Amino acid sequence: MSADDPLVRVDGLQKYFWENDSLLDRLFGDDPVPVRAVDGVSFDIREGETLGLVGESGCGKSTTGETLLGLQDPTDGRVEFEGENVYDLSGDDLTDFRRSAQVVFQDPFSSLDPRMTIGDIVTQPLSIHDWPWTDGDVETTVDVRTDGISRDIVTATAADDIDTVVDPVDGVATAHVTVRAIDDESAADVDADGRSVDLASGVVAEVEEDLAVAVDRDDGIVVRVSVDRSTAQLRRDRVTDLVERVGLSADQLDRYPHEFSGGQRQRIGIARALALEPEFVVLDEPTSALDVSVQAQVLNLLDDLQAEFDLTYLLISHDLSVIRHVCDRVAVMYLGEIVEVGPVDDLFEDPKHPYTNALLESVPRASTDERDRDRETLSGDVPSPRDPPSGCRFRTRCPKVIPPEDLEIEQETYRDLMSLRERVERRDVSLESVGDDGQFDLEDGVSDEKRPAFVAALKDRLLERDLPARHDEIVETALAELATEDWDAAAARLREHYESVCERKQPHLGNGHHPVACHLYGEASERTETPRSDP
Amino acid sequence: MISDRIKANLTSEFRQSVLAKLGVVLLLSILLMGLFAPVLATHNPHEQGHTNDAGASYPPYGLSDEVPMFEDGDITYHSVDGTSEHLLGTNDIGQDIYSRFLYGARTSLLVGLSGTLLATAMGVPVGLVAGYFGGRVDDGLMRVADVMLAFPSLVLALALMGAFGRGTIGIPDPIVLAGFADGMPETATFPGMVVVVVALVTWVWFARVARGEAMAIRNEEYVKAARSLGASHATIMRRHVLPNSLTPIIVLATIQVAAIILLESSLSYLGFSGTTLSWGYEIQRGYDYLPNQWWIATIPGIGIVLAVIGVNLIGDWLRDALDPNIEGEGGGGAG
Repeated sequence: MSADDPLVRVDGLQKYFWENDSLLDRLFGDDPVPVRAVDGVSFDIREGETLGLVGESGCGKSTTGETLLGLQDPTDGRVEFEGENVYDLSGDDLTDFRRSAQVVFQDPFSSLDPRMTIGDIVTQPLSIHDWPWTDGDVETTVDVRTDGISRDIVTATAADDIDTVVDPVDGVATAHVTVRAIDDESAADVDADGRSVDLASGVVAEVEEDLAVAVDRDDGIVVRVSVDRSTAQLRRDRVTDLVERVGLSADQLDRYPHEFSGGQRQRIGIARALALEPEFVVLDEPTSALDVSVQAQVLNLLDDLQAEFDLTYLLISHDLSVIRHVCDRVAVMYLGEIVEVGPVDDLFEDPKHPYTNALLESVPRASTDERDRDRETLSGDVPSPRDPPSGCRFRTRCPKVIPPEDLEIEQETYRDLMSLRERVERRDVSLESVGDDGQFDLEDGVSDEKRPAFVAALKDRLLERDLPARHDEIVETALAELATEDWDAAAARLREHYESVCERKQPHLGNGHHPVACHLYGEASERTETPRSDP
Repeated sequence: MISDRIKANLTSEFRQSVLAKLGVVLLLSILLMGLFAPVLATHNPHEQGHTNDAGASYPPYGLSDEVPMFEDGDITYHSVDGTSEHLLGTNDIGQDIYSRFLYGARTSLLVGLSGTLLATAMGVPVGLVAGYFGGRVDDGLMRVADVMLAFPSLVLALALMGAFGRGTIGIPDPIVLAGFADGMPETATFPGMVVVVVALVTWVWFARVARGEAMAIRNEEYVKAARSLGASHATIMRRHVLPNSLTPIIVLATIQVAAIILLESSLSYLGFSGTTLSWGYEIQRGYDYLPNQWWIATIPGIGIVLAVIGVNLIGDWLRDALDPNIEGEGGGGAG
């Protein structure tokens, strides 16, 4: 893996849910319509960075996180972790992945088993992965300088210094031994302060009594490094360290989760995620269930831990201030797709996608300076992920839908015409109730003389604003076609005049430094960038 | 599984609750009665003919009874007084009711407890697997359960008893063999087929409850967390799903002990029991004599009521003590 390769590469990830897929449905052969929670998502996460995944509730960001960890089976796509496809892993490789990639959940009240003590909860990853991974009896050949050893085998206790003080059993003379790894790949490696031994696979025995060094001089010099404590003791120590590291006290290990506050429980969840020293952690809304006062503490803790353990984060959140505070890069999600990815400063200072812009606008500000700022709040609801809009999924709510080229029209008017068209296409207009009772006879078509009145009444009900003359004419022609209940003709007429590129073509997220999936940028989206190298 | 903390909760809950104490006293005394029936009994429960000289049964000690007798073509009434030799009187064929009551306790508790254990062992794994995996596994297992549920339990039990026969196991009674109770029956009858049958008609309830719990628990984030740690399905079911579904299962089990005691009594009442030493059988015996000699049916009836109440009170106590979210001493709370 070269330095440029990302730690995690998500490529075309899809996750559909088929609801009501019951025996009865299958019997009757109803074709279930999937909920497209995640629909072709691609992004990279570089080693050591924090990538934010932001979007409204229900846009699929949590599903993305869970699917990429393999907690849900993907519908399609691949996720590479350190260059290997996660979904192809099995056996030991899968175990390794499980060890390297962890998750911190949103709800600290559901993420801890209420029947397990805190100690048990944090110990669980250790026992699942059979930690410590050595049998405590690693044998290796190291360069040992001995001085006055009178026995063949001595047991050494590591001291503060790299010169290990050897206290031979049975009161034989004290000797000084330097234990040093011959090469860096060897299993035993006494580090600079001599107190911790990293046994190749990552066991850190930090307390000096943990370590026993036996020197055997019979054929060459063999030093046997062993851990003196039982597995249970080692785990207990490790759990104590972890719990204290996240800011709780070790005497709380025997308590149950319900005795802790939300913030403390989230810390416990973090300790559990870190127990196996993962490289990559998915933070699924880690602070959104917490009090504001506690959020900052937890975020700072996560920040410290990232620096301390070289962690890579995927932070899923709907809270833009959290994203800005913590992330290096941000991916914005809308309705199962990523619409914009960029470095956090670029994205916040210069949002490209109208959706990103609207999200940023929606953040309440304490200052009155911008009281008069033209806020573009989003209108309408998120469309159903069962039946997402064609083309650009945001077009139904987008304040910057692109009108056809020859059309000069105000965005607001265009918006009105678009929603009118949509209602006609869905036949979501009640013609019967137009005008007074019985005024118009729809059965045989509205008579010619009554038609202008019908059109006027209908237009009055469907459109609040007056239209420019040119559009007025088109709309009236279309509405007149409704008078004979010719829905298709009306819809076709409106489509002919007002169809936008946003609904015809799906915009693609490009590559590069700050790509965006929006027709406003089109092919040229990257050309607006001043070329520069990634940090 | 049983931590110090659960023990502490059990004791503190027990100290506070009068009902829990009552339940333990009731169940414990019935348990002791059944266990030491041979020692406590005054007569061999099968021995007939404990009547007065005229052949009339005795009422309980302290009561007297007007017994109709045919004499020279006329009905005359003889007064029969209870005797201290037969504390609770004798039944229609002159068997000592007190002794039979003790042996009946033995049968009821034995069937109630072992039947529940067997039903739990059958139903809980099925329910947990169905609820945890869902989908086709769930569909398959639960259709079987639905079929079982479609039959009224007593009818199903009668049908099964009819099909399997009333196989019983004679267990040598160690107390009698050791010579502590001469003259008592040397073998205790364990109605094995009754136990199997009551388990077969009740396991479905355990499966249903366990399934519902497992379905809820599998979506909890701690289960997702365990999966992201790489725990196997078996581990997750053992460490998370089973312990967290235990409270309703225990509550159900206590209700079922009571229900099975009743079911066993019903079977015995209807004559489908392996043993005549059963409260239900006794009630059936005394049914015909209710207007006059009410004690023959009433005394075993009281036994059933007390056993059911005792078991249910213990169930309440366990439920309160086993749920970690209910603090025993009102302390705790969020830190």
